[in-house]
Amino acid sequence: MFQYIIRRLLWAVVIFAAVTVITYIIFFVIPADPAALAAGKSATPEFVAQVRHFLHLDRSIPVQYFYFVKNLIVHGSLGTSYVNRRSVDTIVGEAAPVTASLVFGGAILWLAIAVPIGILSALKPRSLADRMTMVFVLIGISLPVVWIGLILQWAIGFKLGWLPNAGYCDVINPPVGATCGGVVDWARHMVLPWIVFAILFAAIYARMVRSNVMDTLGEDYVRTARAKGAPERIVLIKHVLRNAMLPVVTMLGMDIAVALGGAIFTESIFGLPGLGRTAVQGLDNFDLPEVMGVVVFATLCVIIFGLLVDILYGFIDPRIRFE
Amino acid sequence: MTTALTGAGAAHAGPLLDVRELRTSFVTDDGIVGAVDGVSFQLGQGKTLGIVGESGCGKSVTNLSIMGLNPKTARVSGQALFRGEDLLKASPARLREIRGGEIAMIFQDPMTSLNPVHKIGDQIVEAVLLHNDVSKQEARSRALEGLKEVGIPQAERRLDDYPHQFSGGMRQRVMIAMALVNDPAVLIADEPTTALDVTTQAQILALMKKLQDDHGTAIVMITHDLGVVAEVADDIVVMYAARVVEQANVEDLFERPQHPYAWGLLGSLPRLGADVDRLVQIPGQPPSLLRPPNGCRFSPRCPHAFSRCRQEDPRLMPVTDAPEHLQACFLDEETKAREAVKTLTAAAA
Amino acid sequence: MNDDILVVENLRKHFPVARGIIFKKQVGAVKAVDDVSFTVHRGETLGVVGESGCGKSTMARCIMRLLDPTEGTIVFDGRDITRLSRAEMRPVRRDMMMIFQDPYASLNPRKRVGFIVGEALLIHEKLTDAQIKRRVQELLEVVGLSPEHYNRFPHEFSGGQRQRIGIARALALSPKLIVCDEPVSALDVSVQAQILNLLKDLQREFNLTYVFIAHDLNVVRYISDRVMVMYLGKMAEFGNARDLYETPKHPYTGALLSAVPVPDPKLGRARRQIVLEGDVPNPINPPSGCVFHPRCPRFKAGVCDVEDPPPLAHGDGHVVKCYYPLERWPMTADEMHRRPDRVEEPAAV
Repeated sequence: MFQYIIRRLLWAVVIFAAVTVITYIIFFVIPADPAALAAGKSATPEFVAQVRHFLHLDRSIPVQYFYFVKNLIVHGSLGTSYVNRRSVDTIVGEAAPVTASLVFGGAILWLAIAVPIGILSALKPRSLADRMTMVFVLIGISLPVVWIGLILQWAIGFKLGWLPNAGYCDVINPPVGATCGGVVDWARHMVLPWIVFAILFAAIYARMVRSNVMDTLGEDYVRTARAKGAPERIVLIKHVLRNAMLPVVTMLGMDIAVALGGAIFTESIFGLPGLGRTAVQGLDNFDLPEVMGVVVFATLCVIIFGLLVDILYGFIDPRIRFE
Repeated sequence: MTTALTGAGAAHAGPLLDVRELRTSFVTDDGIVGAVDGVSFQLGQGKTLGIVGESGCGKSVTNLSIMGLNPKTARVSGQALFRGEDLLKASPARLREIRGGEIAMIFQDPMTSLNPVHKIGDQIVEAVLLHNDVSKQEARSRALEGLKEVGIPQAERRLDDYPHQFSGGMRQRVMIAMALVNDPAVLIADEPTTALDVTTQAQILALMKKLQDDHGTAIVMITHDLGVVAEVADDIVVMYAARVVEQANVEDLFERPQHPYAWGLLGSLPRLGADVDRLVQIPGQPPSLLRPPNGCRFSPRCPHAFSRCRQEDPRLMPVTDAPEHLQACFLDEETKAREAVKTLTAAAA
Repeated sequence: MNDDILVVENLRKHFPVARGIIFKKQVGAVKAVDDVSFTVHRGETLGVVGESGCGKSTMARCIMRLLDPTEGTIVFDGRDITRLSRAEMRPVRRDMMMIFQDPYASLNPRKRVGFIVGEALLIHEKLTDAQIKRRVQELLEVVGLSPEHYNRFPHEFSGGQRQRIGIARALALSPKLIVCDEPVSALDVSVQAQILNLLKDLQREFNLTYVFIAHDLNVVRYISDRVMVMYLGKMAEFGNARDLYETPKHPYTGALLSAVPVPDPKLGRARRQIVLEGDVPNPINPPSGCVFHPRCPRFKAGVCDVEDPPPLAHGDGHVVKCYYPLERWPMTADEMHRRPDRVEEPAAV
């Protein structure tokens, strides 16, 4: 196990390097001049040149990359935004909790929908309930997230006024001058985003759970459990679910990890200042440090979650443990 | 949960298991498949009944029907009397009591028949707790006893191991221990050694014999291997295409087989001691159970078939001088006696 | 022209096991085949028998150069094929073909029978489509199928018929040697006899040589002229089928023969079986000396666990690797324990 973790961490470093290098390279292929943008509209060419030098933009790409890495490792900092000179650490630090609220809350919601539906469908294949589930799955996968988001926002947020349309409320530390704060406000603002975010995943997971449970129901050890006289309830919980959920755990880890990098559509529709929005803004402004900040954070999430999921899998499935 | 009646101790007049005209069919997209078509047999206390047949003959489905383990698409009719109680009409709760308690079942593939994510000790303990009102410690100590009895070395430590940490033969021993831990009256073994090496098979069969002697358990041994039934069975039922074609005690079946399918089976077996130039072969293959042939289902492949065979269904009839020996064939007795002798001499060549 | 179509000497196939964080180091090897030598005469059938893990399938693949041997030489039809490149092997592959165990997995389900059987002709011969079709239809008839089956797909056939298709495929280029890897294990008994008879007929008609690998001793006895018994990657015994089966010399061969169930209740129950203890050990860590010693009823400490026994000749090509070969047969396990004290002097092999 120990060897395995060490190997994974070494690979993590390699992946990290690869992702950041590629991002850097992509950035510099785009024909735009961040220095000009940073300097402002009314900047003189000399000022722009000054800015360029200050931001190291007149150096070669590898040198810039080196400064970036040095900053990260030595100072533990992600640099400062070209545009507003704010620390990227702060920017990311403010955006991450928003995305985290969305993603984790959404994950709980989508599991709460998908798992029971998937199991019930698997237990009664081809019944009315099963067919309705499959219709739900089809709709959930087919409808674009943006469309669902806008419709719900208009219908429930605007027309019916039950829930707020947009905006985010901090749970713990509302900034000065904020119009809302605290748990209730936070939750009310998150309900619609959670629903929109969760629908697609719920559909996919419902189908996956259904097919895993159906496969597991046909396994020999389930027949053995019944032959021992176990009631169906126990067969389902002890024997079927434990095995059927294994692949779900893996998928869940990766889906959450990727989503933490920024659920761009949902955040944009509902005006949530999360990592997705931050990344989009950074791209619009050609603000490399900001984009890199989100990229670094997202990559770290994927790596860490991936490792956690694999270790967790080892705990759940004893066959993996004894590699 | 009631306490199981201790194994073979409970006395009961008549056979322990009495199956009468069992029929099981499955509704499929292509039509109705009659997997079991009028099967009857008896199992006596402490005896071993061998059910022999090839794949698709219905031997496994017969036993799954008795235990109520078929999928929901199955339609079962007939009677399966266990100590006089009809299992086919029993309530689901009663069936669950019996399964694993008074009638236990083991299956062919020990690799997949045990849950891979639970320790084997826990799985055996589960079997105990489902049928006995005892503490977990007591259940665990019974599980330990069971493992020792089937010859698992270092049993105490092995209780906490997972199935993949055992070899195929050891896994089957664990299955047997789990099946016998509640001292059932009947053990149904569905091809228990087919997936094992021949030396491991010998170990497992010897183990089952010893356990039967110690506990008095009656065994139903389902297999395609005539050698295995010759070694372990007291009585044999030969099935073909969802029906019983011959039924006899083991010596009678091997010394005076009466059905052309049995002759074909016995003749087509290559043997250790024999230097035969050519094996007897049964032409063609078993019929589809979706649209079985008219009359005798073996007639399309039978070298002795005549017109009556293709029109009428032969019923199981006793042999004249051996009323316990049943067979379903229209041939006259002299031909049968002659063919039986031919088969045996060819095999012993 | 040499009478030996295949000469295998000191064949070894080891699969490395590596450990390490960044740079993997080989820490051991699975010795799937460990120093096996034998010859196959032109026109005969060599049976290779052994239980799971003995290396017979790996050896078959080495002979066919589907795997590269770690050490040793393979001489086919007078030519050393051990280290030939893929391009050099291509013309050789016309003469050696293989038949596989699983008739359901070894035929491409998306291709028609005509293509499956004729693909080799497409690759190796310059024939027109019409000529290929005619040859394929000939082959289908030779194996007992109808030429009209040319356009059908594998799923339309039964297991036995699929195996016939596999045989037709192997015969397409008129090979000299056919390696059969458990060709009847997955078939029902009644169909098994058909395929075995067919193989024998084809051997006579086309002067084929077979290497026939199986775990079923009965089948091997029926079809083989000479037999090799393998255990844990090594050869245990080699000889004429009759000699080996009637007077086995290696204790493992004796245990194997003793373990085979006999379809004769009186005979089967009268004999006292040798039941081996324990399981087949792990090929990563084979026992020292004679690999069979931990389970051998004849084990003598200080002799059997020190060095791998050299092959001893017992006349007429009967070779045994054992320090205490059996003096007679049949023997029970107790009789095996009472071995003579002296070690037989090795005769030149």
